[in-house]
Amino acid sequence: MDFEDLASRLGIDNEDFRELVELFIATTQSDMEKIRQALADRNPADAGAAAHSIKGAAGNLGFEDMAKLAETMESQGKDGSLNGFDAYTSEMDGYVTRLQEKLSGD
Amino acid sequence: MALEKRQPYSVLAVDDNMLNLKLIEKALTKEGYTVYAADNGPKAREIAGEKQPDLILLDIEMPGENGFDVITKLKDNSATNTIPVLFLTGVSEVDAKLKGFDLGAVDYIIKPFHPQEVLARVRIHLKLSIATNSLIQDQAGKLRQVTAAQEAMLPQPSEFPDARFGVYYRALQEAGGDFYDILNISGNITGYFVADSSGHDIETSYMTASVKALLAQNCTPVYSPLESMKMINDVLVEILPPGKYLTACYMHLNRSTMKMTIINAGHPPVVCLPQEGEPYLFKGEGDILGMFSDAGFGQVQITVKEGDRFFLYSDGLVESAENKITWATGADSLLPVYSTLSNTPYADAPAEMISQLFGNDSCPEDDIVLLCVEV
Repeated sequence: MDFEDLASRLGIDNEDFRELVELFIATTQSDMEKIRQALADRNPADAGAAAHSIKGAAGNLGFEDMAKLAETMESQGKDGSLNGFDAYTSEMDGYVTRLQEKLSGD
Repeated sequence: MALEKRQPYSVLAVDDNMLNLKLIEKALTKEGYTVYAADNGPKAREIAGEKQPDLILLDIEMPGENGFDVITKLKDNSATNTIPVLFLTGVSEVDAKLKGFDLGAVDYIIKPFHPQEVLARVRIHLKLSIATNSLIQDQAGKLRQVTAAQEAMLPQPSEFPDARFGVYYRALQEAGGDFYDILNISGNITGYFVADSSGHDIETSYMTASVKALLAQNCTPVYSPLESMKMINDVLVEILPPGKYLTACYMHLNRSTMKMTIINAGHPPVVCLPQEGEPYLFKGEGDILGMFSDAGFGQVQITVKEGDRFFLYSDGLVESAENKITWATGADSLLPVYSTLSNTPYADAPAEMISQLFGNDSCPEDDIVLLCVEV
């Protein structure tokens, strides 16, 4: 995950990219809260909607693995299934943690 | 044309995801655009109405009011319905794209989007929008010139005090189909001409100019009123495009001999309001002008008295599409209204008549010309 490379692909400078990543972490954490709530409520549609939001934002920043995971969650949620969501959420949390570490480490 | 457009151009970005909004904002502000951001539909519509952005980027999938709801409401609102809208949509959502176009979107950007693509599409749609607006302004400007030219062709009572007439003229569109002219044939002979041409387009305004020239050439003491109309008809048959024609009425008043000649070419009947007595119609039959080379026109010749009044008008005065009234019946039904105008000065009679018929604020359904002539 090379921030400089991603920033250059988007045509923006590194500082702006880091600001966007910070915002992305915040919005993703908020979306993950919605997903956890949807899991508690057994509400696949809400989980799918929150995953849709993560998918778009992750895709826009070039975080393709996160976007793919979010897409899986979205399509499954929209199909009415919450199977495997515990694992998905752990995986997504892991991506977020690595982003936070990357931000503070650079 | 003056370049009045303010700078910088502004874009309203609508997305429930703050990251997407921020990304769009960063990409566009760096290039000099003003960006307004809204994370929900109602807020987007509020900003669109207040700030009048030059373009809107609209996410489809949003909680509450989605992108389709938002564009539908934007297009229903006259303050926002011309702002170009680009949808932000997922790659697989073919139906959504089609629905977006159906609802009035000009383009879509597939998510995840690249900021440089957003920038490129914003640029191209702003260029298109500017070009379209400039074309509209240009055309409206030309039509305003046509209106001014056409109105300049309509003689005002102050220019012909001896003709003793008052007039009400109203064109619904820039190139009105109604037309009138006053002809100073000689010291005591005046011609009054009212016509209604088919169509309201630019071609019509050229026809108006042609007829005015023909009237000046042919309404002379050398020709009788009927001869004048026949000569004008023959030229019009040659020059008018297919489907174009006029209905017209020509009134020739000789104040020395007190003879009035009325020529009717498929036009609503002239009304006479005598100095004493009740108003009545001259229902002269006649072919329309400009259609047949062997056209025959209705002709009436009467002796008039000082103070007698004559009303010439176009069908907009007596016809009503809404109430299914044609001039054949409408003209009769208006006779009592003319009686009320006996004591109104002739110069004010047309406006008074219109006010009585349509009130001060209701809108006539067609062009209207109404001429009142006093002997």
